[in-house]
Amino acid sequence: MKVSYTWLKRYVPELPEASMLEDVFTQHLCEVESVEKKSEEEFLFDLGILPNRAHDLLSHEGVARELSGLLGLPYKDPNTYVAPEVRKTILQITVESELCRRYMGRIVRGVTVGPSPEWLVQALTSIGQRSINTIVDATNLVMFDCGQPTHAFDLQKISGEALTIRAARSGEKMTTLGGVSLGNSDAVGDHTGSEIELTESNLVIADAAGVLALAGVKGGNKAEVDTTTTDIVIEVANFDPVSVRKTARKNNLLTESAKRFENDLSPELATHAMHKLSSLIAKLCPEAQFEECIDIYPNPHAVREVSFSLDAVSRILGMKIEPEQAEKILMQYGYSYTRADDRMSTDSAGAHADTVFVLQVPPLRLDLVGTHDIAEEFGRIIGYDAIEPELLIRLNMPQKNEAYEHMRAARQKLLSEGYREVMTYSFAKKGKISVARGAKGKEFLRTNLSDGLREAYERNRLNAPLLGLSEIKLFEIGTVFPTEKIENTEGRGEVGGVEEIHVAYVDKKELVEKTVEEFSHNLPPVTADAIETGEKNNAGEAFDKKDFSHEQESDSKTETFVPWSIYPFISRDIAVWVTDTESEKKLETILATFAQTYCVRPPQMFDTFSKDGRTSVAFRLVFQAMDRTLTDSEVETWFAELVSLIAKETTMEIR
Amino acid sequence: MGSMDMQKPDLDNTPDVDTFSTKGSQHPLSILMQEAYQALTPLGFEIASGPELEDQWHNFDALNVPKDHPARDMQDTFYIKNSPEHVLRTHATSTTARMLKKAADKKLTQAAYVSIGKVFRNEATDATHEMQFFQIDGCMIGEDISLAHMKGVLLELYRHVLGSDVEIEFRPSFFPFTEPSVEVHAKFNGRWLEMMGGGMIHPQVLKNAGYDPEKIRGFAFGGGLDRIAMIKWNIPDVRLFYAGDVRLNQF
Repeated sequence: MKVSYTWLKRYVPELPEASMLEDVFTQHLCEVESVEKKSEEEFLFDLGILPNRAHDLLSHEGVARELSGLLGLPYKDPNTYVAPEVRKTILQITVESELCRRYMGRIVRGVTVGPSPEWLVQALTSIGQRSINTIVDATNLVMFDCGQPTHAFDLQKISGEALTIRAARSGEKMTTLGGVSLGNSDAVGDHTGSEIELTESNLVIADAAGVLALAGVKGGNKAEVDTTTTDIVIEVANFDPVSVRKTARKNNLLTESAKRFENDLSPELATHAMHKLSSLIAKLCPEAQFEECIDIYPNPHAVREVSFSLDAVSRILGMKIEPEQAEKILMQYGYSYTRADDRMSTDSAGAHADTVFVLQVPPLRLDLVGTHDIAEEFGRIIGYDAIEPELLIRLNMPQKNEAYEHMRAARQKLLSEGYREVMTYSFAKKGKISVARGAKGKEFLRTNLSDGLREAYERNRLNAPLLGLSEIKLFEIGTVFPTEKIENTEGRGEVGGVEEIHVAYVDKKELVEKTVEEFSHNLPPVTADAIETGEKNNAGEAFDKKDFSHEQESDSKTETFVPWSIYPFISRDIAVWVTDTESEKKLETILATFAQTYCVRPPQMFDTFSKDGRTSVAFRLVFQAMDRTLTDSEVETWFAELVSLIAKETTMEIR
Repeated sequence: MGSMDMQKPDLDNTPDVDTFSTKGSQHPLSILMQEAYQALTPLGFEIASGPELEDQWHNFDALNVPKDHPARDMQDTFYIKNSPEHVLRTHATSTTARMLKKAADKKLTQAAYVSIGKVFRNEATDATHEMQFFQIDGCMIGEDISLAHMKGVLLELYRHVLGSDVEIEFRPSFFPFTEPSVEVHAKFNGRWLEMMGGGMIHPQVLKNAGYDPEKIRGFAFGGGLDRIAMIKWNIPDVRLFYAGDVRLNQF
C-alpha cells in the first residue's frame, strides 16, 4: 500500500526523516517494498501491510497512529470539521442480509460536480491515484485517509428514494463504472465498464429497478456520479469479509474497497468516516444541503478487553519486560488499561510475582485477541533484536526415522559406486493421479523415477565430452505415486498409502528401479557407530570408512557455483606419434596452453597404443563459448593453427 | 604462442567434473539437507517425514488457515482432480502439524522435529520460482520454550550451513500458524537476506494437535532449502536443481 510521507506528517508533525522511517517500518512493523523520492519533502512508501494488520493500517491515519505510538510522538488530527445543518429525510434503506453489518446513508442535495481543487488532486496523485471529479475524489480521499471505503450514488438515477441491501438474484446483471480496475482505483473513466452476471452469493445495493452496486466492491454505472449530478446519496457501510472477497475475486475486481473489507474492517470506523466525508463535501460544495443520516447497525461491536500477564508475555518472547516498560508502551499508544501488581504466576520455575494488565482493545485492532497477540505487540515494538539467543539442548533420545535411514544407506551405496545424483520433476506426461490446472505435459504425478532418469541420462550422455566422462552413471531417490486410490479420510486421518519412495539408477548397461526399502534391504546401517566398528550386515559386508568421505568431506562453505554455457560444443580429436618422453611433455604443454585459451576443459587423453615400436597418444579437445554457438570454420581455423604449431615446435608426426 | 589473434571464445569455465573419476557426486540439495540435519540433530531434533500428497486438514486447517481466509491465497495450491480433500503440500509445515499431533497423542511434554522435503506451488516458473522445490520445516515444544530459543537454534543452523560469521535477525511478519510471527534474515557475505519464516506456534495450532496451549508452548520455523543453496553457493537459477545435469554437482 502506497503512503505519502507528507500526508503522514500532517498527523504526526514530529515525524523523523523519511530515510529513518524505512528502518522503523522494517524492524517494527512490516516490509517496505519500495521508497520513491518525489521531491525534497515528499517520499512515497510502498508498505507490505500484513493481513493481520489490514484492519487498521490500510490508511494514512492508521499508519500515522501506529508511528505515533511506536516512536512516542504526538498525534493530532489537523483537519477542521464542518458540521452542516441537517434536514429531515425521506430516504429509505432496507437491509435484507446479515452480510451487511452496518449501513449509513445520507442524501446531500445541491452538490456541484466538476474538477476538484488543486489540493485534492495533489493528495490523490501523491499516492498514485487519479482525480475524477469532486464527489468521487472526496469518497476516495476519505478511504485513503481513514481506511473506510465510501461511495456516492446519483440520487436522480435511483428509482424512488429507497435503497435495499440484499443478495443478488440469479441472472441479474450490472455494468461496472468505468474500466475494470485491478486495485488502482474505483475510478470512473473514459473506458467502458464491463457487464457482470450475478449470482445469489453476491451482495448488492439495489433500487426498485435493479442493481446499483456490488456491495463493498464496485459501483455500477447506472447511478454514476458525473457532471450532471446535483443530488447524491453517500454510503458509508460495512460488509462481511468472506462475501466481499469471494465476489471480488470471482469477478476479477480486487478494488481498493474490496481489499479493505476482505480482511475484516470494524464497523465502528464508519462513524468517523461519515463525519469526515460529510465535512469534506460541505467544504467542497458550500451550497449543499444535508439530510439526516440513516444508520442501520443492528449489532454494534462491544468494547473488548484483553487481560494479559506480563510474566507470560516475557516468557513467550524469552526476554524480561518490566512493568514500567510495558506501561510506557501502552501510554505511548494512548490505550486505556488497568494494571494490577502483586499477582502470582506459576511456571516450571515455581511461583513468582507478576503484573497483570487489562487492556481495552481499540475497536480497529481486531487482531488483538489473546496473550500471544500482546506478545507480538511487545516483541515488535521493543524490537526482536533485544532478544538474546539461548541455546537449549534437549537430548530426548529422538526416534530413528526409518525412511530417512533407508534413503541415506541407498545414497551412500550408490555414491561409493560412482553414481551421480540428480533430482527430476515430480510432474509427468502420464500417470494415475492428476492435478487441476496443471502445466501442459505436467498434469500427472509421476508413477516412476525411470522415465525422468532416462531423459536425464540422454541429456548427460550427449554432454559426455564436455564432462570428460567415459561413462554416465546417474541415480535419483524420490517419491513416486504409483496408484490412483486415494483414501478420502474427510480431512483428519492419515493419507492412505498413495506414495512410495523409490531408488533408481542408470548406467550404460541397465536402468534399475526399486523401492528404497527393497534396495537398502541388505545394506549395513549408516551410523557413526557403524563406521567405527565396521558393523556388518547378515551377508557379512560392511561399509568401508572411506565410503563415507562424501558425508564428512565437503567443506562446501566457501565454494562458488561455476555456471556452464547453454550453447552447443564442438569436439575435435588429435592423435600424435610421440618419439620420446621429452617431446611428449612438450606436446602436452602445447595442448594445455592451447586449451586454456580456446577450450572449455583441459585436453583429455583418451587413447594410446603402440605399433611397430611407435606410440600414439590421442587427445580430445572440446570447444564451447559462453555467449554464442561456435561455427565449424572458427574451430577449424584454431585447430589448423594448433597443428602448425605442433609441427613447428616439435618433430612429431600428427596422425 | 604464435599469432592466434582471431576472435577467442569467451572463456567458459565449465566445472571440471572429475575426468574419468569413478567417484560419485551428490546433488547440492542433498549436501545442504545433510548439513541442516547435522546442525539440528545434536540439539535433540528428530528427523521427521510426511506425505507430499497431503490432505487439506494438515496443509491448512490444522495450521489455523480456515477455508475462505485470504491467507489461504498466500500460496498457489495444486489441487488434485477428483479428490477435493487433497492437495500437493504447499509447505513442509504440514509435516510439522502431523508431528505435533503424534507428540500430543504420546503425551510428550517436550519434543523437537525437523523435516526436509519437496513442496509444490502452482505458479509460473522463472529463475527464482519453481513448481516444486524443497523446504525445511521444524518445531520445538516444551513447557518453557520461547523466541530466544528459536534464535539460538536458528543461529546454530545458519552458522553450520553458511559459516560461523553469519548473523541473524528477526523482523515482524505474519503467518496464520504462528503468533508472534517473524521473518528470519541472515547476513551473509555482507548482505542481509530473507531466509525463512517462523514464530511461536499459534495456540489454535497447539489445540488442533491436542495440546493445552496454557501448558505447552513452542516455536516453528520453515523456508526454502533451494533458496539457501542459491545464496550459499551463488547458484543463479532454481531450475538448475531439477534439470538433471550433473554439472550441478560441484561441491
